[in-house]
Amino acid sequence: MLQSIPLEYYLIISAVIFIIGSIGVITRRNAIIIFMSIELMLNAVNLTLVSFSSFLGDVSGQIFVFFVMSVAAAEAAIGLAIILALFRSKQTIYVDEVNLLKW
Amino acid sequence: MYNAVVNELIGSLGLIKPELALLVTFVVVIIADLIFKNNKVNLGLSILGTIVSGIFLIGMSGTNTSAFANLIAVDPFSEFFKYLILISTLIVLVMSEFSEELHNRDVWMGEYYMLVLGMALGMFLLAGATNLIMIYLALETMSMSSYILSGYTKEIKRSSEASLKYVIFGSLSSGIMIYGMSILFGMTGSLDLYAIQSYLAANGFFQPAIFISGLMVIAGFAYKISAVPFHFWTPDVYEGSPITITAYLSVASKAAGFAVLVRFIKLTFFDAAGSSDESWIMMNSIPWDMVLAVLAVATMTLGNIVALWQSNVKRMLAYSSIAHAGYLLMGIVVMTNTGLMSILVYFFFYLLMNFGAFIVVMLFAHKIGSEEMDDYEGIGYQAPVLASLLTLFLVSLTGLPPTAGFIGKLVLFGAVLDSGWYWLAVIGVLNSVVSLYYYAKVVRNMWLRKVDNGKGTLKFSIQSQALVMVLGIPTLVFGLFFGPIMRWAEHSVRIFLGN
Amino acid sequence: MSGTFNILGVGILTWITFLPILGMIAILAIPSGKDEISRARSLNYFRYITLGITFIQLILTLVVYSGFNFSMPGINDASSMQFIERVTWISVTGLPMLGDLKIEYFLGIDGISMPMLLLTAIVSTLAVFASWGIKKAAKGYFAMYLLLVTGMMGVFVALDFFLFYVFWELMLLPMYFLIGIWGGPRKEYAAIKFFLYTLFGSVFMLLVMIALYFAVGSFNMFDMMDPSKFDQNSILAGFGTSWRYIAFAALFVGFAIKVPIVPFHTWLPDAHVEAPTAISVILAGVLLKMGTYGMIRIAWPMFPDAVQYFNWWIGLIGMVSIVYGALCALAQFSVGKRDLKKMIAYSSVSHMGYVMLGLAALNTEGVIGAIFQMFNHGTITAMLFMIVGVIYDRAHTRSLDDFGGMANKMPVYTAIMTIAFFAAIGLPGLSGFVSEALVFLGAFKTYPVLTVISGLGIILGAGYMLWALQKVFFGKLPERWSGPWDPTGKIYKNDDINYIELGGLVPLAIVVIYLGINPNPVIGMMTSSVNHFVELIRIGGNFAGM
Repeated sequence: MLQSIPLEYYLIISAVIFIIGSIGVITRRNAIIIFMSIELMLNAVNLTLVSFSSFLGDVSGQIFVFFVMSVAAAEAAIGLAIILALFRSKQTIYVDEVNLLKW
Repeated sequence: MYNAVVNELIGSLGLIKPELALLVTFVVVIIADLIFKNNKVNLGLSILGTIVSGIFLIGMSGTNTSAFANLIAVDPFSEFFKYLILISTLIVLVMSEFSEELHNRDVWMGEYYMLVLGMALGMFLLAGATNLIMIYLALETMSMSSYILSGYTKEIKRSSEASLKYVIFGSLSSGIMIYGMSILFGMTGSLDLYAIQSYLAANGFFQPAIFISGLMVIAGFAYKISAVPFHFWTPDVYEGSPITITAYLSVASKAAGFAVLVRFIKLTFFDAAGSSDESWIMMNSIPWDMVLAVLAVATMTLGNIVALWQSNVKRMLAYSSIAHAGYLLMGIVVMTNTGLMSILVYFFFYLLMNFGAFIVVMLFAHKIGSEEMDDYEGIGYQAPVLASLLTLFLVSLTGLPPTAGFIGKLVLFGAVLDSGWYWLAVIGVLNSVVSLYYYAKVVRNMWLRKVDNGKGTLKFSIQSQALVMVLGIPTLVFGLFFGPIMRWAEHSVRIFLGN
Repeated sequence: MSGTFNILGVGILTWITFLPILGMIAILAIPSGKDEISRARSLNYFRYITLGITFIQLILTLVVYSGFNFSMPGINDASSMQFIERVTWISVTGLPMLGDLKIEYFLGIDGISMPMLLLTAIVSTLAVFASWGIKKAAKGYFAMYLLLVTGMMGVFVALDFFLFYVFWELMLLPMYFLIGIWGGPRKEYAAIKFFLYTLFGSVFMLLVMIALYFAVGSFNMFDMMDPSKFDQNSILAGFGTSWRYIAFAALFVGFAIKVPIVPFHTWLPDAHVEAPTAISVILAGVLLKMGTYGMIRIAWPMFPDAVQYFNWWIGLIGMVSIVYGALCALAQFSVGKRDLKKMIAYSSVSHMGYVMLGLAALNTEGVIGAIFQMFNHGTITAMLFMIVGVIYDRAHTRSLDDFGGMANKMPVYTAIMTIAFFAAIGLPGLSGFVSEALVFLGAFKTYPVLTVISGLGIILGAGYMLWALQKVFFGKLPERWSGPWDPTGKIYKNDDINYIELGGLVPLAIVVIYLGINPNPVIGMMTSSVNHFVELIRIGGNFAGM
């Protein structure tokens, strides 16, 4: 199947997703959406890894994907826990309202 | 075939005994916490585990090989950093015992020790990682623990805020890093640094994709060592975290970041054919040295200049630690073993003085309830011993003799001059003049203001003063007799370069 | 080597250098005292320990002087240095690229360092008298004072560049505290300015030191003066290369900031005006000499080619310092607060300019004049600052407008002050005349035009000094000073200068008068060294043959 679609297409789509994710992290102010954007970036990475892995016929890229997925889950868990703690004390999840510390 | 793999695995287990000791302690502390519910037990077990790990480490000294089929290298270079990490961990554990912000607020401490150990484990693995997956996992093990630790005193608002910023920037930079890794994997067909190196050596031409993906990977490490422009998190996290964790982040996690940065650059991009032990030639004429030089100059200049305006001591030390990362980067720029040695020497001294400064700031904060510079006025006459020691640490951070910090600078600038990077050395020394100004501001407030204000003395426990002394005396002694450290660092510059 | 003087198995130079550290430890060990009486007792302990230590140091220095062989030149010849103490301090072998790192604890003196050693011992002993009035945080003051003395002594006896650098930097911190804690209203500003300026200069010195180390493979000063030790691949190898000029210029700036010469002088007026009297005395008496000493000991013999290249410029800088410093001193009569202390501070800039001019002469007269001027400026300016301190303690003002007619009120004080001022002008019969005359004699042979213009400095100097003398002592006594200084009689029993202050001033006055009549005791010990030095630099050192 992959033979029918060239590798470049996968790489371009993953690069686009990665850039969308990065822009999301930088521009959005809602902490939850920021985390979603980060997930988007990680998924772009996964797509790149899988397509390269398939193209090269080397499974180690796919193994990497499993690790990235599990780490992403752990990261999201920690991130959400921190957002929860922050919400309890500040009643907001908008990062521009969280400004006790100067940027 | 099957037997060979099993044998390889079992053989490798013997090479990661220090890591295993930390891992076992990690598990034991979780269980002990459930059973005894006693902080002293947790602390004792953690310290014990750290010491056991240290004993294993001593037992393995001089090993120069690779474990788990090139997943991690066990070499003198990683060993040096493991010692640094272990010493830092021990200091942090003891320091936590004195920390009132951790104990006063009824924070449950079991997880705290566990996470410190988890962080240490991550850093241990990072110091030796030679495979992209391993680097990523070790980095994340370290990061995850530190995200939680930086927000550990979650009742304090600024603490959870620091934590949030840390986790957002951390995830972002690790996302960038693994994107770089994925491209590197695609271009070279391997995740193993040695294999990547041989691929690049065989196809030696300049590829922009390799360069950019390398930059992205380095960005991930630059985040850990808080190099400009990936430093944004540093001041906030340092100011908002419990001070024990601030100290830990500023020394140990930075050390691990440097270890992996050096290893990545050296293993992946150096040209084995053209390089001698002394200087590494970079293949494909990718100007990594220039990239790092720009990074170093930006980092130290920005760190120093922004530190000038700070009024909070913790925040000032955060910017100063950015500046020190800039100095340390100079040691990589020169791409020689001398440069590597200077990084090791500098790091060891940096550990002493930076921890020392943070501990005194913590102890002062307990008594005067503030980390603001203005509240330090006249404190020299209320707590002469600790204030003198803080002065010593700050003088050492500035890099004046006869303190250890001066030797660090001497060796570092020596390596830079030796390799002909004259303009870099000039910028470096000018930066250290700038740094004098903000360190002296603290000294000024402690001693020059409110002299003999008659406010009575502040009492500190003998143990806490002894802890500071343990760091202060070497800061002075190694400033005068630094031979042993030089020798140790010289033995530790050997990086395992593959079979 | 003329005999080895050991006390308890430790060399005498080590004793001289590190004795103050012992005193410092003793002072730190004595509690400051809780109540009024014990505090007063501790204060006396601090004073007498400091005085005792510096006095023993002076005695030991005189012992060294009595054993000093006048005919041994030293400079770039390790075998003709005297009172040598040489121990390996740090030795790390087999480093990558650096090879064997070896740093020595290497002390010794020659005809250049001997006068400086004497000067340091004299000034630091006598400045204790000027510190008698210190009451605020006295423990810290005397501890820092002794640490400062160690740093100064160390600079003058070190023969290993690394050791020299350590001592050089060692005195920064005590000086910072001494100005910053016990200084005047703008003390914080003055202290950090001093610190930053000096550090700025010394980091460049550090870079040159490292570069020289890579060139010769050791920190030994004599190796750095010997072209045969230079690695031919080093950038500093060879003769008259632009890298050598750059390195010399960097070293020169490092030392020049300390001297200070125009345009690096702006820290000096601030530091002097704000510093307590004793520290002004030390600063002017010894610290400024470290800059010129460093030039003679390090910069000149290591880069003789660059000295020849830059020599006219050095002379020019000396001339500018002389004239500009004098003009600034004169300006104190017309603008601002008409501060007497600031005037003397600027006169220091002017007088240190003579040293630069004498060095630029590059002949025996000129260089002897320069070194003798260092010594004389040390003693004379120390007197001047003590004198200002005396009147400031009483009147709490230093403004020239506030004084007049003091001659009747304080006759003894007037006599001492007249000696000091006349010595500063360079009146024949006083020591300042001899050194200035030698400088002009030497410099005229080399750079007549610069010398003639510099002569302006003498005229201006006479102008501001006499003017100040007249302002303070003659004319009408202002109404506000007509009564006794201290009506209660607790601090000052009578109006004139008291014995403790005399204790500081009279020995200096004797030195100034005696050396004016018979300069040989000081000039004699430096002659052979200076001859050797001049010859060495003139031929371009041993580098010329390369």
